[in-house]
Amino acid sequence: MYMFKYILKRLGLMIMTFLIIFLISFVLIKLLPIVVNVTIGQDKEIIEATLRARGYYDPIPVQLVNYIKRIFHGDFGVGVNLPEYRNKPVWDVFVEKLPPTVLINVYSTLFSVPLGIALGIFAALKKNRWQDHLISTGVMIFISVPSIVTAFLVQYIFCFKLNWFPLMMNSGFDYFSGSMFRSMMPAVIAMSFGSICGYARFTRAELTEVLTSDFMLLARTKGLTRGQATLHHALKNAMVPIFPSIVGEFVSVLSGSLIIEKIFSIPGVGGLYLDSINYQDYDFFMMLSCFYILIGLAASIVIDLSYGFIDPRIRMGAK
Amino acid sequence: MKKTLKYVLASAILVGTLGSLSSCKGYKRDFSGKYTYNTYTEVSPSNWNELSYQDNNDTQIMSYIGSSFFQFDYKFDKDGVPVPGQFEVTYGAATKLEDVTEEYAGDEKYSVPAEATNGYAYKITLRNDLKWDDGTAITADDFVYTMKEQLNPLFKHYRADSYYNGSTVIHNARNYVYQGSKVTQGAELKHKTWAEGKQDPALKFDLTNSSMGSWLWGKYGDAAKAKGPAWVLTQLGCTAAQADIEALVGKTPAEIEANATLKAAFDAVVTFWKSEPEEELTLFSYEHEYPAMDFSAVGIFTGAKDNELYLVLDNPLELLKEDGSLSYKAAYNMSSLPLVKKDLFEANKVAPVEGSKLWTSTYNSSVASTASWGPYKLSTFQSGKEYTLERNTNWYGYGLKENDKKYQTSRIVCKTIKEWNTAWLAFQKGELDSIGIDVSIASEYKNSSQAIFTPDDYVGSMQIQSDANALKAREKEGVNKTILTDVRFRKAISLAVDRDEYNRTCTTSSKPGFGLFNSMHYYDVENGGVYRNEEVAKKVLCEVYGVDVTKYASIDEAAAAVTGYDPAQAKQLVTEAYNEALTAGTIKATDKVVITFGTGADNEATRRVFDYLSKALKAMVVGTPLEGRLETEFEDHGSKWADDFRSGAYDICTGGWQGAAWDPGYFLLAYLSPDYMYSTAWETDKVQLTHTVLGEEYTMSLMEWYNCLNGVEGSKHNWAEGQVENEVRLGIIAAIEKEILSVYYTVPLQNHFTAALKSYKSDYISRDYNTFMAYGGIEYLTYAYDDAEWEEYCKNNTLDYKQ
Repeated sequence: MYMFKYILKRLGLMIMTFLIIFLISFVLIKLLPIVVNVTIGQDKEIIEATLRARGYYDPIPVQLVNYIKRIFHGDFGVGVNLPEYRNKPVWDVFVEKLPPTVLINVYSTLFSVPLGIALGIFAALKKNRWQDHLISTGVMIFISVPSIVTAFLVQYIFCFKLNWFPLMMNSGFDYFSGSMFRSMMPAVIAMSFGSICGYARFTRAELTEVLTSDFMLLARTKGLTRGQATLHHALKNAMVPIFPSIVGEFVSVLSGSLIIEKIFSIPGVGGLYLDSINYQDYDFFMMLSCFYILIGLAASIVIDLSYGFIDPRIRMGAK
Repeated sequence: MKKTLKYVLASAILVGTLGSLSSCKGYKRDFSGKYTYNTYTEVSPSNWNELSYQDNNDTQIMSYIGSSFFQFDYKFDKDGVPVPGQFEVTYGAATKLEDVTEEYAGDEKYSVPAEATNGYAYKITLRNDLKWDDGTAITADDFVYTMKEQLNPLFKHYRADSYYNGSTVIHNARNYVYQGSKVTQGAELKHKTWAEGKQDPALKFDLTNSSMGSWLWGKYGDAAKAKGPAWVLTQLGCTAAQADIEALVGKTPAEIEANATLKAAFDAVVTFWKSEPEEELTLFSYEHEYPAMDFSAVGIFTGAKDNELYLVLDNPLELLKEDGSLSYKAAYNMSSLPLVKKDLFEANKVAPVEGSKLWTSTYNSSVASTASWGPYKLSTFQSGKEYTLERNTNWYGYGLKENDKKYQTSRIVCKTIKEWNTAWLAFQKGELDSIGIDVSIASEYKNSSQAIFTPDDYVGSMQIQSDANALKAREKEGVNKTILTDVRFRKAISLAVDRDEYNRTCTTSSKPGFGLFNSMHYYDVENGGVYRNEEVAKKVLCEVYGVDVTKYASIDEAAAAVTGYDPAQAKQLVTEAYNEALTAGTIKATDKVVITFGTGADNEATRRVFDYLSKALKAMVVGTPLEGRLETEFEDHGSKWADDFRSGAYDICTGGWQGAAWDPGYFLLAYLSPDYMYSTAWETDKVQLTHTVLGEEYTMSLMEWYNCLNGVEGSKHNWAEGQVENEVRLGIIAAIEKEILSVYYTVPLQNHFTAALKSYKSDYISRDYNTFMAYGGIEYLTYAYDDAEWEEYCKNNTLDYKQ
């Protein structure tokens, strides 16, 4: 029951936080001066008349009310300034572009989480031996190298020199075909390097600490083998901070990677949010803000709740 | 018999040899295979609707799915080879163009002058076999419907002004778009004299929408916003008190006349402002409401037959030459009129959303909403990824004999690739048929046989801050910026930049630029008159850059000697400017000069330009009193970089202009109008220029010269195209250009060239760039390999483009 109450409380707070951020986002973007781009010989009056007709010069509270009314009708507006999406419904664009981003990130997560954790466990178990040094050096190198470099190397070696994969993701919407999967692989590989290293480093650090805990010594003295003690006690405890970071990664799954998507020509949502601010495309900005705020807030609740599932000693909302 | 056999064998060998030779040259005018042109774009198109497209990305698709009434074509010699630089204008979707001005002369409905004999009204006869890609016939009525939608006041389409604000002004087009809307406009549009205007109770004193208000906000927008336009006037020298000026706002001339305080303030404003008769009018505005009107009053309608289209213009356009053949303007100004497919357009109209009054359209934004009447039709489109065009078999052109050997391309695939390095790898794998040469590979590939260098009319310049108040305001203790107000210092900056080295260092293939116009700007298109090639234009450069013409055998040699680089003179000018500033107390002996370089982005390219200019400026002060005291700083102003510069936020930027290459007289607007120019504080309406026209010497402000040159309504003279000889206009353009260059607010550095590598798969009809035809476009593109052959070739060979 206390858990249920806790969830309700968190949901209430989430809605309140969402509304506050929504309001701040709307007001701030509307406070920016309206840019009227007029080329030589163009009728400035008609450009301004267009903006006026769109309601851009109305008082901000009036615009806010109109925007909320539109949202309740399921209308998030159309792109106005973003060159690639003018006159296109912003929600349709987002929905069309979300699948490639999600798929690439999910594939990357599925690939990197087990591999990263496995490497971390292995390094922790072989602490201060050559295997640990090798993994740690690799981790340091790949964490230090910017993703743009890794992505170019993957593209150049695997796609250009070895011809294992196409240079860019395939066009079309058959996201689950074999050919499409193959074309996504370079991006998945490039994206995974950072995650694998992150998980490996995190797991190694957590597990190393747990492995040297007193309760591990107790477990061994009680007759458990090293494997049993590690699997049933050390790993379980080490996963308490690791698991939420995996859940947290799903939030970024929806926002995409600007660099990776650019290099591998992935028609995803990476960069869309930034572009909407740069081009002052109100409807895109607000729709994306709402979406990411909601996802972020929901994820934070899920992460907090996940602690309880991994470690039953942690009771959310319990006094 | 033997003799015949010999002939047959000889002929066979000859044919075989020629065949293999032609194959070696890569020309295979054969339509059996599949010839895909693979290209890429950084930004995917989104709205290829002719009525509302906004940028060049959208024209990518538009150019393939539409047709032209009249079009440029190569002029071929007797061997079928394009004559360099030559062109002809041919009929396309139209079969006949007739000037019917005399039929409408004096017609009140269309306001065609009674004495007009040509240029105002045209009858266009369309082909009878025009069809949409689904086979639906196209008639003249479709063009009338489209124009009605183009000018539809509910949509306020982005391209509506193409038919009332440029050289093609369809009668009543503007009134139709604006119907029902109220606009506040300058009183001089309503009245010719102040005596007449001051009787009008509709006029209101206005510091925002009057002509003076526009000037004020254009030049001092930030200050006017912060402290009010009345305050700005007092700072500029108007003797009336701010409160008194503010009290005038909204008052009619009669109300002002009746109140002594108001009258005194008004007189003070007039004293400050007035330099021409009747200028009191420019302090007032009035509200004008455009009346509702029927589209039948607009100057476009159908004739007796389905394929007859009439057009009545407010300004004459000479689309036909005296001999009745098409002039270049037919292909330039009237290439076509917009055309939408009625049923599809209606189905894609989108009603205004909550809080908006604007109708929008999704026509031509997806495959389903796109209709083609051009050589290709859209077959796939994925936003931000790829689009494909295939032959439109219903296009009239494929049935024409003259097109038999054209349009070999059967498919066009355009990928969206935002990262140049990815495109480069794709090009090297044979997946793209051309790629722009990035500066990172320029040295290795610019001598390649496949490298194509294309000039354009963009002139890149260094812009130097003209607003002395803004420079002063940004000075800090120990930092001087106002030295930039000294023309000698600005000239020194100009002379300190080695334009040749600048272009080699900072651009892929651009060439040094010295004037406001380059070799792409024509002052007389019909006769191939390139402005920069003319003696008077060459003299301008020689005079501005200090080349003594008398020391050279010809003006051509003198002009060729212009480098714009003279470090010795630059140092001398710096010293003179510094010493004078020191004497005047505007700079201290310990002050540093800090020059802020602003850009729209902080990236490798802008940093390269900044580094180069910094180096040049620091070298400029070596050996002068400012040695070691000049510093530069870099600022990224994002998308508002140009507006920020105009409002005085930083000192130097690089920016330029492109457009109206065939009307340099008109394009001077970019350098003279406060609406566009970078040097907004340079008062072009006050700077006087004396020049002789048709044997008579005139002294007028630069803006007045501009207005006369373009026949702007209300100007003192009309020296617009067609009104005086092109040579007269040439002289005026050169005089204005010299004046602009001589103040060194705009310092030209670069005549823009783009460089590209062309794959071995396809080739252009000619490697000579032709202003009117470029390289022949998709129409003349030929292929050495079909798709299957090229794939095979790429598999078995490494593509090397260095040779």
